[in-house]
Amino acid sequence: MARPFADADRSLFWTLAIVAFAAAAVALACRAVDRAAAHYEAERAGYAVVRVIAPEGPDAIALAVAALADAPHVTRAAPMSSRRAAQLLQQWGGRPIDPATLPALRLIELELEPSPAQADVGGDITAALARAGVTADVVRAPETAGGGTMAARARAAALWGGAAFAIVMALIVSLAARGLATRRRELVAVLADMGATRGQAASRVANEAAAKGFLAGAVGAVFAAALGAGLILLLYPGATVASLRQLIGVWDVAPLALTPFAAAAAAAMGARAGAESFYAQAARLT
Amino acid sequence: MARPPKPEYTLYERGVRAQLSDVSAGYDGSDVLIGVNFEARAGEVAFVSGPTSAGKTTFIHVLRLALLPRAGRTIILGEDIQRLNAGPRAKMKRRIGYIAENPVFVEDWTGFENIAVALKLAGRRPRSFAEDVDELAQFVGLADEISQPVRSLSNAARRRVAIARALAGKPELILADDPTAGMSPDAGRRIVRLLAEMRRVGAAVVITSQDEGLADYAPGARWRMEHGRPVPAEDVEEAEA
Repeated sequence: MARPFADADRSLFWTLAIVAFAAAAVALACRAVDRAAAHYEAERAGYAVVRVIAPEGPDAIALAVAALADAPHVTRAAPMSSRRAAQLLQQWGGRPIDPATLPALRLIELELEPSPAQADVGGDITAALARAGVTADVVRAPETAGGGTMAARARAAALWGGAAFAIVMALIVSLAARGLATRRRELVAVLADMGATRGQAASRVANEAAAKGFLAGAVGAVFAAALGAGLILLLYPGATVASLRQLIGVWDVAPLALTPFAAAAAAAMGARAGAESFYAQAARLT
Repeated sequence: MARPPKPEYTLYERGVRAQLSDVSAGYDGSDVLIGVNFEARAGEVAFVSGPTSAGKTTFIHVLRLALLPRAGRTIILGEDIQRLNAGPRAKMKRRIGYIAENPVFVEDWTGFENIAVALKLAGRRPRSFAEDVDELAQFVGLADEISQPVRSLSNAARRRVAIARALAGKPELILADDPTAGMSPDAGRRIVRLLAEMRRVGAAVVITSQDEGLADYAPGARWRMEHGRPVPAEDVEEAEA
């Protein structure tokens, strides 16, 4: 009986779709920030350098690498070449450096497996080296520099910022859907006169709002998905349409999948509240 | 041992569809109805006349459970309405057919759709009630208008849609609040006759109107609204004589 796409309903639908698009797009952006920060953190935490102090000479480096093969937390150990050191120094300082000008290095690069926060990674590796007769220290990226706390902050900001934005968008959807209840006011009054209970009258309007919210949420999510995919193709080096499936995980699309349901729930809540208030006015005069 | 039936239900079984005893009601600080005593019985028409602002609409609001009395006892369809919660009170409205002075419709819906609301609410499926709605439309004198949006209908046709909608749920108590307001005398008489006919199917019919002359077309008890209460018309006439 209801004409779902009368003029006012159409404008409501597109309002909901635009809000859903904004919410989904921001959720995707937050997820991207979270992923980037998590990746950065994993890279940072999974890297260390061993500086061999004693004994001296190339044999000591070979001895240390052999000891590191069995050391805890270490997945890969490789002596740092002059060429690699020059490359790193150039990244840091900006000027090209000739590897030949560098002194003999007593450094070994390590890749580390993820460890619990309370593990003493440096101490364990130093102890393993000491057991092999090598005195060395392990240099890891400190927590307070090199973005150690920034990644965690970025992740928290993405989470709470995304959540706050989603709540604001849900409020907008809810208020817009309350407008639908206003337009269905006469229906609510008729239902109240006919003997519908408050729940029945409110559900009639809330269900309609939920259906519109779901559809609008789905449209918004599709547009956000298209925007997200476009940005990945544009900004991510080497990304192609075929590689998108490898680049995007299940949790990355979760915000998109949730958008229609969240829009439906927010719209239904707003419309129900409005309809209940109109029902109370219509059903009783005192 | 079986519990004896409630006295309210005994009244209902005896054919009393509405009984108001010393009922007072009003809005905010003011009382509109004061000490009302009234009874509507199955198969009978009660015609209540009175000038504007005499309290006819408030009286109908009490009968249709939209306004809770402040004092007195109100028994509608075998239930003391002051003891009913909101849910059961709402459901009881399905047994009451109400025609407002200015009926509210879903204006974009057709007459058919508006009439069908009551049947949908009763849980009936569109296929099963289509024929009933058409019959009702014929009964109240609606022809092609039934398939037009209500907003495009004349005042008389709207009133007929309202009557058909009120009758759709086969109500036991029919309440018409000034149902001929704004209509030509002829159309008004036809409407009152039509409503009065519903007494033949066992409903109690209460009609209020400013036009006392219409009572001639609604055979049954005649009441006049005097000082916030309906009084049997013969008592008023005696007092005036």
